[in-house]
Formats: sequence, structure tokens, C-alpha cells
Amino acid sequence: MTDHPKLLVVKDLRTTFATPSGPLPAVGGVSFELGTNETLGIVGESGSGKTVLSRTIMGLQPRRNVEVTGSVLLKGFEVVGASEKEKRSIWGLEVAMIFQDPMTSLNPVMRIGKQIDEILRVRQGMDRRAAKARAVELLELVGIPSPAERYGVFPRELSGGMRQRVVIATALAGSPQLLMADEPTTGLDVTIQAQILNLLDSVKEQMKMSVVLVTHDLGVVATRTSRIIVMYAGRIVEIGSTREVFRRHRMPYTRALLDAIPKVSNPSHSRLVAIPGRPPNLLDLPTGCAFAPRCAYATDICRVQRPRLEPAEESGHAFACWNPLPVAEGALT
Amino acid sequence: MVRYLVRRLILLIGVVFIVSIGSFYLLHLLPGDPTAVILGTGDTPANKAKLFAQLGLNKPIWEQYFVWIRNVLRGNLGTSFISQTSVWSVVKAALPIDVEIIVLSQILAFLVAIPLAIRSARRPDGPLDRILGAGSFTLLSIPSFVLIVLLVLFVSIKLGVGHTGPSSYVSLSADWIGNLESLSLPAITLGIGSFVVYYRVLRSDLIATLQEEFITLARSKGISARRIMWRHALRPSAVALCGTAGVNIGGLLASGFIVQYLLSIPGLGYELIESVGLSDYLVVQGIVLVVCVGVILINFGFDLLTNIVDPRIRRE
Amino acid sequence: MSSSLIVHEMVEEAHDRPARKKKLGVLFWICVGWLVLNFIGAIFANVLPLEDPLFQNYAVVNAGPSLHHLFGTDDLGRDIFARIVFGSRVSIEASLGSMLIGFGIGAPLGMLSAYRRGKFDSVVTAVMYVLLAFPAIIATIAVLSFWTPRSLLKIIIVVGVASIPLVYRVIRGATLNYSTRDFVVAAKVQGATDRRILMKELLPNVAPVGVSFLLIGIATVVTLEGALAFLGLSVNPPTPSWGNMINESISILQTNPWLAVFPSLAMCLFLLCLNFIGDRLRSHFEVSEGKI
Repeated sequence: MTDHPKLLVVKDLRTTFATPSGPLPAVGGVSFELGTNETLGIVGESGSGKTVLSRTIMGLQPRRNVEVTGSVLLKGFEVVGASEKEKRSIWGLEVAMIFQDPMTSLNPVMRIGKQIDEILRVRQGMDRRAAKARAVELLELVGIPSPAERYGVFPRELSGGMRQRVVIATALAGSPQLLMADEPTTGLDVTIQAQILNLLDSVKEQMKMSVVLVTHDLGVVATRTSRIIVMYAGRIVEIGSTREVFRRHRMPYTRALLDAIPKVSNPSHSRLVAIPGRPPNLLDLPTGCAFAPRCAYATDICRVQRPRLEPAEESGHAFACWNPLPVAEGALT
Repeated sequence: MVRYLVRRLILLIGVVFIVSIGSFYLLHLLPGDPTAVILGTGDTPANKAKLFAQLGLNKPIWEQYFVWIRNVLRGNLGTSFISQTSVWSVVKAALPIDVEIIVLSQILAFLVAIPLAIRSARRPDGPLDRILGAGSFTLLSIPSFVLIVLLVLFVSIKLGVGHTGPSSYVSLSADWIGNLESLSLPAITLGIGSFVVYYRVLRSDLIATLQEEFITLARSKGISARRIMWRHALRPSAVALCGTAGVNIGGLLASGFIVQYLLSIPGLGYELIESVGLSDYLVVQGIVLVVCVGVILINFGFDLLTNIVDPRIRRE
Repeated sequence: MSSSLIVHEMVEEAHDRPARKKKLGVLFWICVGWLVLNFIGAIFANVLPLEDPLFQNYAVVNAGPSLHHLFGTDDLGRDIFARIVFGSRVSIEASLGSMLIGFGIGAPLGMLSAYRRGKFDSVVTAVMYVLLAFPAIIATIAVLSFWTPRSLLKIIIVVGVASIPLVYRVIRGATLNYSTRDFVVAAKVQGATDRRILMKELLPNVAPVGVSFLLIGIATVVTLEGALAFLGLSVNPPTPSWGNMINESISILQTNPWLAVFPSLAMCLFLLCLNFIGDRLRSHFEVSEGKI
């Protein structure tokens, strides 16, 4: 296990749901690697498969009507095909997850302290007092004021931002090496979003973790990730270091996502840019590039043949497009 | 919170007040001279005078009410002119039997409903879920009095077990095993009726809960499926389930009445039906008052409990 | 949002069409047929080739099922089959009659309350709230035991009145669900009269909830008649009713179990069909049980 340098290796991962209307390829062949103490951003519109991808990596996909193929090696543990019981050995202790909506991801009838220290008592056999002490420490770490008093409150009594902090504390309790954060700020006020992202940054450094940050907002990942994956229709359409993807992106879809970020430098009352058209129907994907129907640069080949991920100039940067944008230094400034 | 409590309390007092007026007025529903009807065979001039004094019949009706309610508050529900016993002593002897039957039946219902609902919810539309679904649906359509008749018919007569003869009731203080045995049939009958409700409520509740994000979060902590079910999924349903039990108490009592009557178990229901048959109206009135107030208090208690205990409801 | 919900939404979005309604199925129509058969029997009991339900034939007392007496006879030699058919009249009359009162008063009040809101709503709701706190079953038993002599009409009145607050609550809740929706607002803006909005816009939407609750109500009254019979509060013997028959069978359960089995079966089948139809209608119209 130690001879493998990478924390997470995903190879040709496919997640297909069996639906009454036919197979639905939510994730259609995704490969990437993640090192230790690294932050990876996964970006895409809703329905791009990013949430299903993050859950499949954890092995948390629904148990019925779903088929997963490919490989997910997490510290040498093969997640794909492992039983629930086997996966339990890594859940919480090797990999933990933060969810989108802190309103629904905490048990409403359980005291928050109990939810944090459950893993310590059940998985690590800590006694009640030690677990409680550690839970209070974690509450303090995630920036909850007067943590000892908050240990016994119910989620209802906390604000959304506070709840998300509690969820983070829950995830940190098992000292995992990998933290999957699925849209951790979407359900929160804008002012709280930055606080939560900063908190994630700081705990990542303190606990020497790797973080996978899933979001629909490229602005969120701009300054906090070392690498970015852009997903569309269940596939990676562009991957590379954050700097490269922002400065020298080649895929028109990435450009569209970047344009969708409102910029302070824009004159006031300027029109917000939206991506035209709708996300594709995964049950009935076009034979060519899935983005072609919405793409301004699409040509005939885009509609008949799917582009493969091609390497760009910088190593590690790749894109899937027949008509890539010209390399323009400082496309986003 | 305080405002809520005060409002509930005002409502409670109001409803109990109206119930007392209603119970009082019941006697005036009787056609003709109420004294003649109440006294029945004991219609002697001496008894008539006594009853007049007891009910204050020569006074205006609102004064009669105050005479009556003052007596009731002192624990004096009147004296039956047919059996010559005080109504309160009849109630006091019978009530514990009803309580015991209901408590036993609820224990049985929960003991069966919870594990079965959990198994059903684990695999919705699985074979077990389908069988239990059809079975509980059928049971839903069998009234308790039909159930007890069928139970008596098949269990007692065909198999020759259980006490079904008249006055088979054994008091708790005399012999607790015999007591349990004599109450087992009514408890099972009422228990089956409650089980159906609890099973169906809990099953659909659990299926909804298991879809919740906090269950996925619990899974992601790597704790066992059993712990997730009992600690995380069952808990949110527990309060609602208690609420259901509280709401059903009136129907449960009424079903209990008939079951007691059929098995000659001297609970409130048995006394009530006997008194209706004998036209012993003072006893009927006393039992009605006690039962109504009891049901209202129990409903109030459960309502309070579910609202205060449930941490999902914000307390101001 | 859980992953399965996400998938569900993906599929829904992809297809851009409303969820398909569940089919009613063959069993549903069998149940409807059975109820219709019961109703026909109850209505035409007099002209059907049945024995007189009150005729006591002492030559065949406590007989088992035979060709001559399909379901056998009771301890007085009366034909059980005829008594069941005639007995269904009591159940059906009692349930329809009391529901007529309950819905006749409760439903319009509930719809008006939810549509008008304001003072009218708060006053009526407060009164109904107090009435709901009453243990309805016990109160029904109490009033019926004192209000002598007993008759079917009195049962209908008492049960009907007791059901008013329940109907009111259900209908008000269902109307409230729709009265603030855009199509009602749109109708108002277009100048539709209150009467028109209530009848044309709200009623069709509230009706499925109402029908479901009506079926539950009928089932409850049929059960209640049985319970009242045991308390000696149903129609006076020798008039047959399902409840009376089951009650009469108790004393001779050992000698003649058929007397208990057949009326019980008739009642349970009737209830089963009602429940099944209600259940199917609820899923068909996507009425959640919580609304009722």
C-alpha cells in the first residue's frame, strides 16, 4: 500500500442507473489521480454527474438498480465491487464526506455532539468521556463558539452555516485522509460560503488531508484547488492544474462556465451570462460531443464522433474537443 | 413555548367543561320523567325523594348542574338505584382492567410492529414487504369485534385453550399468571388492531427516512446497518408513532369495551354495556364522564409530549 | 438530496412530462363490482327471491349451509342469507345517511373557511377544534344510550353530527392547499365570482380527497354499527343488521358457528373493498394519506 504514491486512483469509472426508461449513464468513463495533501475541484452544471461521481468514488451510490464498473483505488483499497461491510472499514476513517445541504444531512433528532463522536465510540472504541472531549475539541476546531455548551444541542437550534461546520466536524472525527465535499456551500448564504471554504482549507492543512471539492461554481475552486476537473454529461471534458484551466482552457464549455461567473470588474447592471440550451438528456446522448448542440464552435465532426481527451501543452492538462479554443494567455484576468 | 402551553391548557379546560355539561345533560335526553326511568324497579316514593335531592331536580337546570358538578368534583358520581352501589366504586373497580388490557395490547403491538416494519423498510416491495402489506391491509378491514369472535371460535373452541367461559377473569392481586392468561385474548385482539396501524405508519415513515441525506451521512461514517436503523432511522419516527398511539386511544377503549363484554371481563366496557341493558343510567353517565375526561387528558398528554419531546420543533 | 432522488429528477427532467398515474387494476374493478352488488341487494331486497328475514321456521333451527338455505339458518330458524342481504340495508343506510349530514355541513363549511379565510375561518376552525378534542366514539355511544327509543334515524343523526368536524378538517385542509395557487388567483383577477371559483376551480381539485375520505367514513360507520349492536344500541331486533347478527351469534357460537362466520364475512368483505378502492384512488390521484 505504501508503495503507491497516489492516494486515489480512478480508472474508467462508469456508474449506470437502471431506470424504467432504460440505462442512464450518470458517470461515463472517468479516470484521474489524486495525491496526498492535494485539493481537486470537480466542476460542472447540475446533472453533469459530478455528485454521482463523488458518491461512486466513496462507494456510497444507491444499492439497487445501479451498475458500477472500472476501478477506484483508495490507498490501495478497491472500492468498486467491495461489499458494504468491506467498505465500512474505510468509510469514516480513510475517507469522509460532506454533503450539500446541512439542513438535511444532520439527524434532526440526535444531539450534534452525539453525531460527531459516534464514529469515535463505535469505530475507535473510545469511552464516552474521551469521545465527548474530542468532539468538543472538533467543534472548537471548526469554529463553533462555546463548543462545550453546543455539544448537547439539536441541529434545529443552529444556523445553516453552523450546521455545515458541525457536518465538517463529523467528517473530521475519524481523521480521514480524503475528504469528499459535495457542493458544501451551495445551501448557504454568500457571506457564509467563504467562511466555510476557508475553514475547509485550514483543516485540510492541519489534518494533512486531501480534499475533493465538487461544485457548480468555478469561482469557488479558483483559489482553493491545485487541479480542476470539468465534467459534462458524465465525462471529463477538461482536466488540468487550476492555473492552466483558468488561463489556457481549450474546451468551449469551460469557457462558458468561466463566463458565467459574475465579475466585480464588470460595469454595474451588465447582463449575467448564461449558457444557452439545456443540459443533455443522459438517456439519449448524441453520438458525437455531448456539448455540441449548445456549442457555438460545433462543426460536423462534433455531431458524429465523440472527441477523446487530448493532452495540451502543459503536462497534466487535457481536453476533449475537436475545435479547441486557441491558446490565449490570460483568457481570464 | 409558554404561549403554546397556555393555549393548550385553556382549550383543555374548555373541552372538559363542555364534556361535563354534555354528560350532565345526558339524563335530560331521557324521555318523560327521568326519575321514573332512572329508578326503574326501585321506583318507591322514598327513593324518588332521595333521587330528587341527589339531582336537585326541583331547582332550575343551571343550578342542577352546579349541584351535580360539585358532587362530581368531590368524587361523588351518585348512587345507582338499581344495584344500590356508588357509581364511583363501580368505576374504581373496573378502570384498572381497561388500563391493563390497553397497556398489554400496546406492548404486544409495538413488539411485533417495530421489527416487522424495519424488515419491510429494508427491502421495500420485497417478498416479505408484499406479504405483510397484503396481510396488514386485510387485517385493517376486520373490526375488533369480528376478530375476537373469530379468535374465540377458532382458538378457544377448536383448540380448547384459553379462558373463554363467563367470569373467567382472574384479578391481578389474586394470581398474576392467571390474570395475564385471562387478559391475553383481549390484549391480543386489541394488539392486532393497533399493530396494523403502527406497522403501516412506521413502514412508510422508515422508507422515507432511509432516503434522507442524514442516513447517507451515517453510512459514510462506516457504522453498521443495524446501528443506522435503530439509532438513526427509527428515532425520528418514534415521536410520530407515540402520537399515533395517543390519537387511537378513544377507538382502542371502545374496542376494548366490546371485547370485555364478549369475554365477561368486568372492565368499564362490561359495566357500561350491562348498565345500558339494565337502563342503569347513573352508572352509564358516570362511566361516560370518566372515560371522556380520561381520553381528553391522554390526548392532551400525548400532544404535549410529541410537541415538547420532538427536537425538530423549535422551542421559543 | 439523496442519490436515488437525483436520478429520479434526472429522468423526470430528461423526459419533461408529468409522472405517469398508477393504473387502477383489475382488483379495483372487482371491488367496485362487489360493492355495486351489495347496493343492488340492499335496494331490491324486497323484490329479490329471498326468504322473509323475519320468518321463524322452527323445523330447521341452526341448520348448516344447504341448497335450500344457502348460508344455513339461525337459532330461530331464520334464513341467514336473507338476513344478511336485508341487514346490509342498515349498514348502507346508516353510512350514507350520516355521511350525507357530515359532508352536507362539513364540506361546504370547510371549503368556504379555506377560501374566505379571515374572521369566519378563525371562528369556525376554533369551534371545530374544540369539537375534535371530543372522544367522538364515546360521545356517540353516550348520546345513543340515553336518547331512547332507539332508531336508525337517531343513529344517522348522531353519527352524522359527530363526523362534521372531521369532514370539515379534511376538506378545509385540501381546499387551503389549492386556494392560494396561481390558477385560483388568475380566476379572481379575471373577475370570476366566488361561487364560480369554488365550484369550477376548487371543487374538482378537492373532490379526490373528499371521495377518499367518504370511503373511509363509510367503512367507519359500517364498523361502528357493528360496535353499537354489541352495546345494544343498533336497530332493535328482530330487524336484521350485520352487527345484530354477529352479536346474536355469540351466545350460540359453539352450536352454530355459521351464524357468526357469514355476517362477519359479509362485513369484512364490504370493508375490504371500501379500503382497497380508497387506497387505489389515493395513489391514482396522488392523495397522500397525510391529507386525510
